[in-house]
Amino acid sequence: MTDERDVVIEAVRGTLRASVADEADPRAVARILSAAWAAPAPSRWRRWLDAWHLPVVSRVGAAVVAVIALAAGFVARGVLPNRAVAEPMAVTGEFPVPVVPASDPRSSAVSTQFVFEAPAAQSVALVGDFNAWVPTAAPLVRLPSGVWTVTVPLMPGRHVYAFLVDGARLEADPRASAAADADYGRPSSVVMVPGR
Amino acid sequence: MSIALRLVRSSIRGATLAVGLLLASPIVAPALGAQAPTVSPAQPVRLAIPDAKTRQAVEREIARAVGRGLPPAPLVAKAMEGVTKQAAPDRIRSAVASQAQRLEQARGLLAPTPSEAELVSGAEALAAGIPGAMLKQVRAAWPAQSVVMPLDVLTELVARGVPPKQALERVVTLMRRGATAGQIAGLGAAVQADVAAGLAPDAALEVRARGVMSLLPSPAAAAALAPSGRRP
Repeated sequence: MTDERDVVIEAVRGTLRASVADEADPRAVARILSAAWAAPAPSRWRRWLDAWHLPVVSRVGAAVVAVIALAAGFVARGVLPNRAVAEPMAVTGEFPVPVVPASDPRSSAVSTQFVFEAPAAQSVALVGDFNAWVPTAAPLVRLPSGVWTVTVPLMPGRHVYAFLVDGARLEADPRASAAADADYGRPSSVVMVPGR
Repeated sequence: MSIALRLVRSSIRGATLAVGLLLASPIVAPALGAQAPTVSPAQPVRLAIPDAKTRQAVEREIARAVGRGLPPAPLVAKAMEGVTKQAAPDRIRSAVASQAQRLEQARGLLAPTPSEAELVSGAEALAAGIPGAMLKQVRAAWPAQSVVMPLDVLTELVARGVPPKQALERVVTLMRRGATAGQIAGLGAAVQADVAAGLAPDAALEVRARGVMSLLPSPAAAAALAPSGRRP
């Protein structure tokens, strides 16, 4: 179908080239019209496409677009690197919260274990500046002894945290140094994570 | 002429439609929506502040800060901290505003191009009462390396009771002598443990700084090995 249209275009183009010196020459106009008329009639498929105003794309153009689409698809599946995916923020319509980048090899993160004794508690969560204080981010697991524990990867440096007991009561870590909290005045602890 | 123009226009319209169809195709669509899901597990959250007025005020505060070029994540974390700590709504808004102010101040002190992590560490240092001029000195000691760890250790030392001037002097000396970020972190952790065990903060720092110093090359060798790369 594209070939048919190309034939028409070439015919018109050739005639226009021949008549460029005398644009208003009636003979030139006649040559244009006869050349166009002599071109093959469009197929049913071509007429259907025309009716729906569907695209006319050359083979080279279609190939380029297809390559771009395939590359984008591969990037989506992690086959090719995508710098945007490595961004540490997930930005949507709402405000973002920090997340662990999917492509971060965590080579610099250090697994850090937290332990909290609360035999009577129903749930204990670790909240801190490393998980944006989101209570659901790092729940602790209860051991038969009544000790709760969780291990999380932390970047080297100073981190402030606390334990949220039964979803309401905030407690500092009795095993760690206390952290001052000028903003909210609540108990917090601090951990220094060494670099590797 | 008009026939040719019409053909050109038709081709442009068609090509536009073709690109549109391809963008909506199953191949490309996952790529466009891939960024958020692939960086899970945490999902973006709406600030869970019960009072709508306060929530909007906090969100406006964050938006204003973002408009000034500050990173939103530390501000959202500060707001979430308040929510988790069940702070009063006004206090949350005030804390977010203070954090934005500290981040902005840290940005100026740690110029020219501090990373987000450096801004956060700088803001924490300021919140701990460390004078802004000291942040500048830390940056000057390591102009091309991340100063996150030196700032964090400085903050921790001061929080444990070491006088800021003494803490800065020791940390900056280690930085200039070629100590690594890991060695500086080790200093902070050791002093923290010593203080918890009952040692006086300044005495603990002197002992531990001497220990780290003994591992470092001589000043002349340290100057020759001074890091010149860009910070991460």
